Amino acid sequence: MTDKKNEGIYADRVQLAYARTLDFVSHAIIVVMAVGYLFYLMQLLPLTVPIETVAGNWHLSSSVLQSKIHNYCGWSCFLSLPVLLHGDALSYASVVFLSMGTMICLATAALVFFSEKNHLFLTITILQVFVLLVAASGIMTRPH
Amino acid sequence: MKDITTGQTMKISLSRRVMATSGIAIAAMIMLLMPAVPVLAAAPAETGGIAWWVWVLALFIFSFVLGIVAVLAGVGGGVLFVPIVSSFFPFHLDYVRGAGLLVALAGALSAGPPLMRKGLADLRLGLPMALVGSISSIAGALVGLAMPAQEVQLLLGIVIISIAAIMIKAGRSGYPEVSQPDRMSQMLGISGLYYDEFGKHEVAWKVHRTPVGILLFFVIGFIGGMFGLGAGFANVPVFNLLMGVPLKVAVATSGLVLSINGSAAAWVYLFKGAVLPLIAVPSIGGMMLGSKIGAKLLPKVNARTIRMIVITILALSGFRSLLKGLGI
Repeated sequence: MTDKKNEGIYADRVQLAYARTLDFVSHAIIVVMAVGYLFYLMQLLPLTVPIETVAGNWHLSSSVLQSKIHNYCGWSCFLSLPVLLHGDALSYASVVFLSMGTMICLATAALVFFSEKNHLFLTITILQVFVLLVAASGIMTRPH
Repeated sequence: MKDITTGQTMKISLSRRVMATSGIAIAAMIMLLMPAVPVLAAAPAETGGIAWWVWVLALFIFSFVLGIVAVLAGVGGGVLFVPIVSSFFPFHLDYVRGAGLLVALAGALSAGPPLMRKGLADLRLGLPMALVGSISSIAGALVGLAMPAQEVQLLLGIVIISIAAIMIKAGRSGYPEVSQPDRMSQMLGISGLYYDEFGKHEVAWKVHRTPVGILLFFVIGFIGGMFGLGAGFANVPVFNLLMGVPLKVAVATSGLVLSINGSAAAWVYLFKGAVLPLIAVPSIGGMMLGSKIGAKLLPKVNARTIRMIVITILALSGFRSLLKGLGI
């Protein structure tokens, strides 16, 4: 209980806003991941690639596996609703959601820095979000 | 007296609840996997002649145990996960590194909120380091995925053995002395105050050598991205021993930096198709559950002995990675 007592006293507005968002996001990630995996393993929705095929090829490098079975990569599971309505697409989407968690928290922090007129940290946070957006756009990983 | 007894009863019932939840989770995982494939069905040679669900279940249990051990030894999960899983499971190194990054990311995200509310994980300290670290971790992930797996395995062995050596050699300082904060940290307003629950006093802190720290975070980010390791093993000494950040703030802020760097590098693995939910999700689930048990067990075990055991395991798995990389 003493652990809880000091929460909020030694943190400023931006820390508290970040923590609140992170708390919500991390719990949502756990739920989404569990549900997605349940749909995948129990095959409650049809699969794009059977589990046995994935397991039979998981010794191959990612590039070879991609050319062989066209597994999900990047944002491909969100191409359309029919694509997303597959057990493996749903489970993959939960991993994408995990990778977006930090971006959501940083966006919250940027809003607080903006309202506090903390221009230096607003710039740093926007730059950080920009780096993550560039990574999430897939520009860096596109073959030249 | 009554309060102490009530407190102890609450602690015991809480640990029992965590244990029971973990037990249910493991049982659910077994039940979930069992009916999917006939137990005696012939398994392809690629899975080592063992049915796929056995590997997935083994991965979940292994990650669960690893989660406990990692917390007790004070290391991140990723640094143990990648060398051991790549050495003993039939998965290609690409997916192990992808899962390792996500394991480290998930652990850092779930541990973050209370640490931020207590002022232990500090945004003003972590954000500048994470900005440079995330750029280099993307570069590291791109380089790592472009290199032949055998070479990455060889380098991984060298890195893991070096980490084990750092863990033996590096000291820790609870409350380092910083007589004069550097100009950059003053400009960024990097300083803080937190309440030390063990010592029952407030601790004010400030930092020095910020430019060198930023440079080192660039290097650490690259290594973390390349090998899919959570880089807590390196973040903490840089914050604590180099920049003079109190140990608790260093550990907590390291998690914040790790969550941002891991998130950046994870996209590279996602776009390269190096994330298989079949492997990544049980690793993340097992590690998160194990970490919760580890945190409960922490006050009751000899953490120093566990740490020595982990260093030994780390050195052995590093050695095995090295041999695998050499094709032996």
